[in-house]
Amino acid sequence: MNFTQAILLAALLLPAAARPSDLTRTADHDYDPPTPGSYTLPAIKTAAGGHVLDAEGKSWRLADLTRGRVTVLSFIYTRCASAKACPYATGVLRDLHELSMDDPALRSNLRLVSMSFDPVHDTPSQMAAYAALAQTSKPAAEWHFLTTASREKLNPILDAYGQAVDRKQNPSDPTGPLNHTLRVFLIDRQGRIRNIYNSSTLDVRFVLSDIRTLVLQSETQGTAGVVNR
Amino acid sequence: MKMINISKNLQLLGALAIAVAPLTPNPSRADETCSSPYLPRIEGQEAFIYVWTLGVEGVGDGSDKLVVVDVKPGSSNYGKVIYSHSVGGRHEAHHGGFTDDRRQLWLAGLETSKIFIYDVHSAPARPRYLKTIENFEKVTSGAIGPHGVYPLPGRVLVPCLSNGKDKSGRTALVEFSNEGDYIATHWLPTKDTAKVAGAEFADGYGYDARVLPRKNVLLTTAFTGWKNYTREFGELAKDSDAMKEFGNSMVLWNFHTRQPTKVFQVPGAPLEIRWAWGEKHNYAFTATALGSKLWLCHEDEAGEWQAKPVATIGGEGGVLPVDISISADDQRLFVSCFGDGKCRVFDVSNPHQPRVMHEKQIGRQVNMVSQSWDGKRLYFTSSLLAHWDKKGEDNEQFLRAYSWSGKELKPTFQIDFTELKLGRPHHMLFGSSKIGK
Repeated sequence: MNFTQAILLAALLLPAAARPSDLTRTADHDYDPPTPGSYTLPAIKTAAGGHVLDAEGKSWRLADLTRGRVTVLSFIYTRCASAKACPYATGVLRDLHELSMDDPALRSNLRLVSMSFDPVHDTPSQMAAYAALAQTSKPAAEWHFLTTASREKLNPILDAYGQAVDRKQNPSDPTGPLNHTLRVFLIDRQGRIRNIYNSSTLDVRFVLSDIRTLVLQSETQGTAGVVNR
Repeated sequence: MKMINISKNLQLLGALAIAVAPLTPNPSRADETCSSPYLPRIEGQEAFIYVWTLGVEGVGDGSDKLVVVDVKPGSSNYGKVIYSHSVGGRHEAHHGGFTDDRRQLWLAGLETSKIFIYDVHSAPARPRYLKTIENFEKVTSGAIGPHGVYPLPGRVLVPCLSNGKDKSGRTALVEFSNEGDYIATHWLPTKDTAKVAGAEFADGYGYDARVLPRKNVLLTTAFTGWKNYTREFGELAKDSDAMKEFGNSMVLWNFHTRQPTKVFQVPGAPLEIRWAWGEKHNYAFTATALGSKLWLCHEDEAGEWQAKPVATIGGEGGVLPVDISISADDQRLFVSCFGDGKCRVFDVSNPHQPRVMHEKQIGRQVNMVSQSWDGKRLYFTSSLLAHWDKKGEDNEQFLRAYSWSGKELKPTFQIDFTELKLGRPHHMLFGSSKIGK
């Protein structure tokens, strides 16, 4: 059984759907999420572009997939088997995808992007298999599964986003052959990165509050600045 | 209420994938115990210590510098300085920190508010200077005295000590992206701006800032402003008005929203913050430099955050406790005391009733203490501030390494920074060539 098959098998075991009221405290996230719109999310930097391929092998400009909607972009590789890394990040995106089925505002304002940093292994067809996670019987937020044609196409994108990736000294490491910092980016409609999550801060309730905050607030205000003076 | 969290199910995917993968042992992970929880830990033994060192006029090139010490056991250079890089000029080198990918080391200067950024990933034994943030006051809308650099996901948090307008202790927390671009300034709350419990204690001062992620809380402490920390200490101590301008508060924040939620009255300049590491240990220690007390900030049984003094450090008159280091198992707290040059080791297995279990004379003066994740190695440096260090023979400038047996500290090596014409060693951070490999 390879990893993609394992993902698909486990996906079949998932509950049919979650509701926002189902999202509650856990030992790792032992607090209540903030009320959307009660805080600001300063702009961190512009979400970089680049040339990418979707799961059907079609070419895209990445910038076209990070503008116009609030985008949650997760850098992953499908061979990652570290429970608190890529599978966890993909799980949070799946949470959001599921939640958008019963939330028209979320569905129409949100875009999800899972982007591989392992182009040699994660070909478009591999990403298509991974994309089975996004198959639903109900309308949901759009979810793109992307890769690149080569490392040469990938590296400028990783550099611009600050996504660190290294090969492990042990390529047979059971958690996967690559070392990486878990990074999930929240990008506003204008293509500005407004939050960066890692494994500690990637709480679906935070992400949901942040998405709703960006939708609620005028995105020309509160993008940077001085507060509480 | 039905409790479903799909993320948990997807975590199971990782577990499932691991189950179908070949089983090999995971490498052990180790790191200093006082770093950000967002920072990847060093695997195994630390290989290098990066020492942010103040330049001294007439000593060597007189400039602040990054000094690299080899601490690999068995190395022919063990316990020796293997590299140094001067930043040019004296900036009151103080604290530093890594970016969350541990690829960059940022070193802050308290007097000039410059931040020097190094690449420590490409060649960890010889960090490569990248650039300097020169316009700190301008881009932050008035904050000065960047005290430390605390890694957050994709960005760093820089707690400051002062402001450019009146150079008092009124200050801010500042955020920069990992690329060195300014993001935001969050001014510490004052009586006038704080709309939370304890607002009457809010003095707007800053020093340390540290996060307990699983509770979504950020805690900050309070020291003093530029016009105090750049004065000669003997002169300052005689100025009763100036001595009133020290912080007397800690602030609890909602970390995600960066909004204060409660202010505590903590008299006597609370400095370093150390959150406990245990999964259910919802508490942090700090020590007050002028009050000479150990304080506990903790969540009580009702879920309310509280702060209280839990121990006196040293005897009558105080010993200027300046740095603290908690062990990874939350059982020990090492407290370095500038006043008498001693390290006091507290048993903090009951955090509400710490007790001294060991004392060790480190030098005539001692400031920072750093500890390995396994708790077996501790390193001390001597310098507090250029204008506050002791004079004459008491002005020893060293890095001293010790082993911890569980009961006592025993010296392993020392480096005389004056003899090597390096300057005054201050903050220490651990490095390794194995990070991210």
